[in-house]
Amino acid sequence: MTLFKQIALMLSIFLLIILATVLILNFQSANKGVQDRLYDDAKNTATSLSLSLGSANGDLSMMSTMINANFDSGNYSLISLVDVENNSLYDRKTESDIKTVPKWFISLIELQAPIAHANVSAGWSQVGILSVQSDSTYAYKQLYSILIDLLIYFTIIALVSLVTLNLLLHAVLRPLKEVQKQAGAITKNEFIIQSNIPYTKELADVVLGMNNMVSKVKAMFDKGNEELKAHKELEYVDQDTQLRNRKYLIDRLPAYLKADASYEGGVNMLISLSGIIEANEKLGRQNVNKIFIKIADIFRNGTKNIKDSIVARINGTEFSLLLPNYSNEEAIELAKNIQQSCKDVIEAAELDPNETFASVGLYNYRHSDSITKLLSKSDNALAQAKFNHENIHLEKAEDAIEVMGKEAWKLLINKAIEKERFSFVSWSVIDTKAKKLSHNVLSINLTLDKNSSYGYAQFMAPAIQSGLSCNIYKKIVDMLFKNSSMMLSASTYSLRLPHEYLEDKDTYGNLSELLRANAALLTFKVIIELPDRLVRQDSKLIREYIELFRKYGISIGIFEFIGESKDYGYLQELRPVYIKGESSYFLTQSDQSLSALRLITDTLGISLIAVGVSDTLTLEKLKARDIHIVQGKVTEMVDI
Amino acid sequence: MSEIFRYNLRMFKLKIVVLLSLLFSSILLTDEPYVDKDLLNEIADKYGVFAKKRFFYLQETLDSVKDKSDLEKLEAVNNFYNEVRYGSDIKIYGKSDYWATPWEFLGNDRGDCEDYVISKYFALKHLGVDYKKLFFTYVRSTNFKEPHMVLTYFETPKSEPLILDNNNRKIFPASQRKDLTPIYNFNGDVLDKVGKNNEKSHKKWDELKLNMQRKKI
Repeated sequence: MTLFKQIALMLSIFLLIILATVLILNFQSANKGVQDRLYDDAKNTATSLSLSLGSANGDLSMMSTMINANFDSGNYSLISLVDVENNSLYDRKTESDIKTVPKWFISLIELQAPIAHANVSAGWSQVGILSVQSDSTYAYKQLYSILIDLLIYFTIIALVSLVTLNLLLHAVLRPLKEVQKQAGAITKNEFIIQSNIPYTKELADVVLGMNNMVSKVKAMFDKGNEELKAHKELEYVDQDTQLRNRKYLIDRLPAYLKADASYEGGVNMLISLSGIIEANEKLGRQNVNKIFIKIADIFRNGTKNIKDSIVARINGTEFSLLLPNYSNEEAIELAKNIQQSCKDVIEAAELDPNETFASVGLYNYRHSDSITKLLSKSDNALAQAKFNHENIHLEKAEDAIEVMGKEAWKLLINKAIEKERFSFVSWSVIDTKAKKLSHNVLSINLTLDKNSSYGYAQFMAPAIQSGLSCNIYKKIVDMLFKNSSMMLSASTYSLRLPHEYLEDKDTYGNLSELLRANAALLTFKVIIELPDRLVRQDSKLIREYIELFRKYGISIGIFEFIGESKDYGYLQELRPVYIKGESSYFLTQSDQSLSALRLITDTLGISLIAVGVSDTLTLEKLKARDIHIVQGKVTEMVDI
Repeated sequence: MSEIFRYNLRMFKLKIVVLLSLLFSSILLTDEPYVDKDLLNEIADKYGVFAKKRFFYLQETLDSVKDKSDLEKLEAVNNFYNEVRYGSDIKIYGKSDYWATPWEFLGNDRGDCEDYVISKYFALKHLGVDYKKLFFTYVRSTNFKEPHMVLTYFETPKSEPLILDNNNRKIFPASQRKDLTPIYNFNGDVLDKVGKNNEKSHKKWDELKLNMQRKKI
């Protein structure tokens, strides 16, 4: 129960008790007043009637008439006259017949009208004693009417008081709500600084304390952010040309060389500049650097229209241009243009183009290639290029042994979508420090019949090439939220959503509808993993997705993190439960970089998870770098 | 020797016990005075030593007739109180009508007709006269042509009452008091006894009863 409810309940009960007490006291006072009035009336009648009776000189008939006249004209229940020896001389009585007052009221009040007495004398001699009792009917009516009036007034007072109390409590406790909001934000690792310091001292102290704490945590986050940005500049950027460096290329390649990569393949162009030593001797290092800057601009301009291309300086004289989804012909055309532009720059610098020139090695890679293969094939191509006439050489990929043709895959996948032949498989992500399961990662299998079952890596590439990946994801997201009973247990499951699917125009609407209808019924916790490249863009679409997932209590995770953002503020906005990066990424980070990342994630309560951990040696190395949550084959070797 | 001594000692103790018990019983058997010592001292403080003396005389008067007949008691009390001077309430108490307690009346040594009646009533009641025989009677005095009050004594409820008046100092039967026209008889104690509501019976009587309880002087 909230503090507001407790105080409101306590004060309301207190108020009602006070009001009820005042009501009872008021009514008792009115009751006593009415009873006193009954007696006074009776007494006055007794005295005045006894004086009148005295004038009758003991004539009983006269006295009876006088008594009758009084009894009939007033509200009396009894008038009796007894002589000095206590014998009754005359009496009149009436039975009360109270119709206007409810019986429960009469039985509750039990009003006894007092009897008043007066001596009656005739001349010097005594006649007896006169007794008069007022009729309580009138008193009952009066008391009942008083009670009703009191109840109405007190109900109005109670209602007004309760409303006023409610408003006052709201006003007094409003700062507490703000404090609670701030405390809640701190729990969720949000940095809210309360500018309105409450008037109440205790609350003001709490707010100031929390503000102080939040400021410090925010400062830590900012420091981590600045440090990480600074390290990224050194880590991923070539200082002379401002191009990306080899490390960046290596860290980014896994996103291009994977089963569900966005592109089937492309061309990796390796460009080497020969005769740089001679050029240095002739022009001096500074002038040669200027040539490099110009050549870097040529690379940038040549690739600016190629989506997701990477231009990186591999070493002092070699550059790599990764051109996804680029054909061999286009690549050769581009290579020639680049070569010519370089020649122009070299000549403009008054260098000998026969001595200083660019060689271009092209390798037509496939997404199924490994990083090592891509690099070695590219190196081979460059070596060949250096020795041929044009200084350009294209190394074609070996023809893949296709199990099925493109069209056959398309048919099969369409059939599977139509017949809902996808099933979930999951594997564990393990926290090796806490020795417990962190969550389960969901993947999908395609099983058309007994003989044709395909894993994600097999069918996803042809699906992407056929433009069917969005349809597959639509189907499996449907399965995840609608057929939750297929899950093994009430646990936590994560599902990666690729950016092609998220960027599809129908996805947001479909997801909203799905979550609205099914999110409350889920028996397990869901973490939706979003690609780092997409979330760090801070686009309107991403903000909408984040809001949607938060609304339905679905956590967010980030995958393919290589920390190449210019600002890590998006992590604060997004507040993912974890960040997943390749194990190689965590292992090749400098200590400063990793500690800056840790500073950011620790202040926001984000876990770091290494994926693709295949052996215990890598696991030990990761542990040494304080990365304890792992995903990959190694999880099968770890006991929890 | 020793035995004789012990015998004498026992006898001495016995004598002491007998003497003490006699003294104690004599204290118990003594009648309560009409005005107790404490109240008497308070009266002396307020009204002076002469007032205290008046109360001694009252006590003497009451003691002198305590074993006598009702008539003798009536005579004694009537005579004693009729010695007090008449004074209006407005002069004495600053009020148009006030029923004074017997202590105020004798303390001031002045009062009006109701004060005489009250003092006589309580003194006679103290002497053991049945209160049911005594009535405060509102009368009209034909001589003075003004309202008046006397104390009436009824030997039996139906017998002719005796009139104890402060104007006419002698006690007469009602039939011999042609100068008085009876208006209304009243006895608060009787009404209190008849009614269950002991707190209220007659406004002036109720006030007086309260003042008596508080020993107002």
